[in-house]
Amino acid sequence: MSFERSATQRLFYREAIARALREKMAADPSVFVMGQDVGAFGGAYLEFDGLFAAFGPARVRDTPVAEAAMIGIALGAGAAGLRPVVSITYMDFIMLGLDPLVNYGAKLRYKTAGRLTAPLLLKTTAGAKGQGVAHSQCIEAWLMGVPGLKLVAPATPDDAYGLMIAALEEPGPVVFIDHKKLFPGAGEVAVAPHRTPLGKARIIRPGTDVTITTHSYMTRVALDAAALLQIQGLSCEVIDLRTLLPLDLDLIAASVARTGALVTLEEGQLTCGVGAEVAAQVQRVLGPLKVHRIGALAAPVSSNPVLERACIPDAARVAAEVEFATRRSGR
Amino acid sequence: MIYKLEVPELAEDVQEVRVLEWHGNVGTMFEVGDMIVELETHKAIVEIRAGQPGFFRKIEVPAGEWCKTGVPLGLCSDAADEALPAEAGGAVNMLVRFEIA
Amino acid sequence: MTRIAILRRMKLIRAFEAALAARRDHGFQLLSTGEEAVAVGLCAALGTDDQLLTGGRSIGFALARGLDPGCVMAELLGKVAGPNRGRAGRGHLSWPEAGFFGAHAVVGGNISVAAGVALARLMTGAPGIAAVVFGDGACGAGSLHETLNIAALWRLPLLFVCNNNQISVSTPRGAALAAASIADLARAHGIPAQTVDGMDAEAVAAAASHAAEAVRQGEGPAFIECVSHRFAPHSTAARETRTAAQLQDIRSRCPIDALARALLASAEVGKSALERMDDDVADQVRRAMGFAEASPYPDAAEALADVV
Repeated sequence: MSFERSATQRLFYREAIARALREKMAADPSVFVMGQDVGAFGGAYLEFDGLFAAFGPARVRDTPVAEAAMIGIALGAGAAGLRPVVSITYMDFIMLGLDPLVNYGAKLRYKTAGRLTAPLLLKTTAGAKGQGVAHSQCIEAWLMGVPGLKLVAPATPDDAYGLMIAALEEPGPVVFIDHKKLFPGAGEVAVAPHRTPLGKARIIRPGTDVTITTHSYMTRVALDAAALLQIQGLSCEVIDLRTLLPLDLDLIAASVARTGALVTLEEGQLTCGVGAEVAAQVQRVLGPLKVHRIGALAAPVSSNPVLERACIPDAARVAAEVEFATRRSGR
Repeated sequence: MIYKLEVPELAEDVQEVRVLEWHGNVGTMFEVGDMIVELETHKAIVEIRAGQPGFFRKIEVPAGEWCKTGVPLGLCSDAADEALPAEAGGAVNMLVRFEIA
Repeated sequence: MTRIAILRRMKLIRAFEAALAARRDHGFQLLSTGEEAVAVGLCAALGTDDQLLTGGRSIGFALARGLDPGCVMAELLGKVAGPNRGRAGRGHLSWPEAGFFGAHAVVGGNISVAAGVALARLMTGAPGIAAVVFGDGACGAGSLHETLNIAALWRLPLLFVCNNNQISVSTPRGAALAAASIADLARAHGIPAQTVDGMDAEAVAAAASHAAEAVRQGEGPAFIECVSHRFAPHSTAARETRTAAQLQDIRSRCPIDALARALLASAEVGKSALERMDDDVADQVRRAMGFAEASPYPDAAEALADVV
């Protein structure tokens, strides 16, 4: 048997996003980008670098600060046949556009009985990185309960590329959530065009003693914690959720059925959080379980480095909590 | 003396860089202020310039490849003919300046 | 559209809504009584390539746009023969193939959406413009001002139509808006604006045509403010806040009576022709109601259809 090694390139996270958009915009004239600082500036993280030069101001449109109108306009353009990508620089400010996103975008296909759909890719950056209480939030859990939306959160450059490609083929609105702390990282991305299917999680570290489900930047923290725990003889299986809505319940439940214990990890709030939903859905399938959820402290996240560090889970805290949770459960 | 050229502390969050272009070959002499190598971080292109005179002796990371912070990119020396060590690890850091392009 | 056709269309709206309101199961409705001239006048200026978006007070505009009355009644009564299988109702009625992109019940919520529809036309070069209707009640909302700004910046082919019936549920327009003129809100963004008597269908048609033509010529967005009166409370569930005397005065300005009088005075129609018109409209409404009643409700399983 021979195996072909497909060619990959190492890309910064932002380059993977830009590559996906460039490929899609070259292939499909209906794809366009709008948002603050997306044009010549290339995006806050250079994630749109090169697009303005390649496609011009008609297809890469700078907007004023007006999130509600930005999202409404993008939805209307999508419903009218285009494929808009709207950039909301900070996830915190999705709040300003929740009415059009939730009340129009998510409900359009249903309320018109399929006469209209709104293919919108809403790309936004979450996470705490020294920017203060109103520029640090991870509120993806707020959107998980909105029927009609899909949510993806790529943790690697390859998934940032692959999920962007797949999301731009969806008939309805997709919220694409990246994270401030993912942009400094790099990773291998296959050179050939490809896509990461929506609704599919991935086991990024196989293990036997406990399943840790997580997403976005916390996947890095989970892997670091798993490495610490391995030294103590605890084998963690880490699952990168990749799509938050719809969750890949089959993969998660199969893992938990093997390990017998579930720990959920997120940077967002625990109350009604991603982990609460994962735990409830898994227990509906497998019955009562040993579940422990790890998340941010129930407090605003200050830009103060001491306070921010206290709020956000790090590898040491995660390892300690996983160890305590599995010990308590009699492993 | 042999010096190692390391990716400087460009910003707190820079984890790894792409080497874009080496300026000058092995054996080239450089003065203070000469450009040695261009790097790309997740945020910007950075010009690394010599902070001390010397000779360029070895490329550890060729153009197009990636290098994590704290890993040597290349080796330099005061004199053109000094013997290179087997391992770069022990060498002193070369003085550099950097500029965001 | 001829004056006679305009009159007939307004009568259709009036009779249709009366038939709807007479039912015990009329549901939560926002009626257009008194505001028919705004709907018919605006739609007289729109063509088959254009798209119309409205707020929650949609029935008059849907009928004025030419949507089949039977299908509209079915939608309002929650029957599957409605264009949205009874799921949308008045608040979200949508028939884009007929040039009615849709109603959206969120106050001001359709304004930015309409700008997006206009943007799509601009970017693809497709013919036609988008027109969006909203009330004075939406003029304090951020979505209007944000969209006026972007529409002006990007020169979107969008016609803003404020149906200023001078009251928002219980709040008179003067108590809600500091600006002396709603049209001035558009002028602040460099958008040409005109105020017109919303009780005069022909005046609305002329203003809308004039504004729409400028938009069609690529001059960017335009704004018209139609000053009207609603004869009934805000909704079928809302209490009336105006006095009997105020209402009597308002109802004396009926746009339908006004146009009928004008047509009689100019001898374009006679009394018997008007009576025939009323019979005709009543017949059409009866057929529409019959069509809607004959249509079934959706199966409960449709609660999960087309969600994502």
